[in-house]
Amino acid sequence: MTAGGWVTMILSLTFVWGGVIWCFRKVLQSPQDEKAPPGYGP
Amino acid sequence: MTQQQEQWGTKLGVILAVAGSAVGLGNFLRFPGQAAANGGGAFLIPYFAALLLLGIPIGWAEWAMGRYGGKKGLHSAPGIMGLIGKGSGARYLGVIGVLIPLGVSFYYVFIEAWTFGYFLKYLTGGIGVDTAAPIADQAAAASSFYTTFTGSEQDGVLFTGDSKLTILSWIIVFALNIFFVFRGLSKGIEKFCSYAMPAMAVLAVIVLIRVLTLGTPDPTLPDQNVVNGLGYMWNPDYSRLGNFQTWLAAAGQIFFSLSVGFGVIINYSSYMKRNDDVALSGLTASATNELFEVGFGGMITLTAAFVFLGVSGTTAAVATGSFGLGFSTLPVVFAHMGGAGNLIGAAWFFMLFLAAITSSLSMYQPAVALVKESLGWNHGKATGSIALLGTVGAILTLWFTQGGAFWSTVDFWVGTFLIFVMAGVQIIYFSWVFGIDRGWKEIHAGASIRIPPVFKFIMKYVAPTYLIVVFVGFCIQNLGASITAAWASTGSRVAIIVIVATLLLLLMVVRAGEARWKREGIDLNDTQPAD
Repeated sequence: MTAGGWVTMILSLTFVWGGVIWCFRKVLQSPQDEKAPPGYGP
Repeated sequence: MTQQQEQWGTKLGVILAVAGSAVGLGNFLRFPGQAAANGGGAFLIPYFAALLLLGIPIGWAEWAMGRYGGKKGLHSAPGIMGLIGKGSGARYLGVIGVLIPLGVSFYYVFIEAWTFGYFLKYLTGGIGVDTAAPIADQAAAASSFYTTFTGSEQDGVLFTGDSKLTILSWIIVFALNIFFVFRGLSKGIEKFCSYAMPAMAVLAVIVLIRVLTLGTPDPTLPDQNVVNGLGYMWNPDYSRLGNFQTWLAAAGQIFFSLSVGFGVIINYSSYMKRNDDVALSGLTASATNELFEVGFGGMITLTAAFVFLGVSGTTAAVATGSFGLGFSTLPVVFAHMGGAGNLIGAAWFFMLFLAAITSSLSMYQPAVALVKESLGWNHGKATGSIALLGTVGAILTLWFTQGGAFWSTVDFWVGTFLIFVMAGVQIIYFSWVFGIDRGWKEIHAGASIRIPPVFKFIMKYVAPTYLIVVFVGFCIQNLGASITAAWASTGSRVAIIVIVATLLLLLMVVRAGEARWKREGIDLNDTQPAD
């Protein structure tokens, strides 16, 4: 594997792992809804 | 609407359901092949550019349009597009957003059955690849199993009684799909995805660890090691960036991978509450898809193939396409993993099965929603009618298997060509008819994040232009050959008839719905904005 290969792989993995971790942290920090009240759904 | 509204149970639930819809076989099988064939690591530059300029912005528009439709009690793409586009033209164009997922479901469940059938085979001893034989014979054995299992030798061969496992797998998989859709949004799809997505991630990590610890399996071939396998996928060839084909392939991969323009996001988000966040939810679903595609798909598939098959074998495998790579090449790789090979193979195919079923579950819901709100049918009756239609489509798929002509024709015209059309319709109506200022406000209603203002410009100008350029390039490259292929065999001709018949049927349902909505006094042209 070339140096360029290592660089693109590490940058890409950092981007996707960083992105998903940042997003899920934000989602979990935001107020969660209560469950849908009984009677909803089929 | 007179019917009781369905809703998602939790915010996380809708994110996992949309991510489940997006993560499919293409993440693990198509992406690595596309990257390796189009510049390796350099491919990630146009790929991430398309993600930021095309995939995520159009996705946000779709999320916002869906939630807006839900505020007015509409959940089908035709109903919602009628609101956004303020008239019948947009409403009838919205039919594409139901035709795509329904049409794709006809063959997608069949392919999903392959993953389940292979999983069962690996649980019970593998598919019979003998590692003592020459490598060419091993590849031939895996290919022969694949051809027989999928019935691609001739039409009707799956019904001769020699392909019991294929038929049994399809029955189980189809029944599971209908069962979860029948259970409803929250109790069925959401609940299943909330278990399936983490399970898929765990399986992906297990397979990834095994692949990254393969080392140099054959000391006589020291170049065939994990690091060089990663290099095969990631070493950049920047000269490919000057080739329009590379940019086209990258945009196409992003587009199909994220499921934008597919008709699912607009339907799923219509079941959100009126001030639920869509900005962070859309971003999180996209980020999850990217993790599976780049973080797992980009690390597992070609690396595993390389350490056992080398440069020439892996290049040949990539040339066979996504299914050849997944169902013919990787079984040879698993056979070379020794005693753990069958377990890793089972984990791999069960992971693919979860990726496929979380996608296929989303394909029925848009049609179920349309039937419910257009005809006033209850959930059971609507699901039953779509299951019947799905069965007819699936039986045709199972019969016309020769060369995969039937399903590949549906895949091209419905699952590829029309996705471009639908995404274009959505972003243009959203940015130019609904209005980007109003759309921007709609996206930020209840949002957990602020989107950088530059995306307003991107959504109005860059994304539509980018999309049109990519679509024209796609048509120049593919349309001529695909029109010829559409009439080349019985299977492809039947596929065209099925597509047209399904389209006409859906148009009739929308027409009935239009009359019904007018009778009920629904503001179907959005004369009184709900924002």
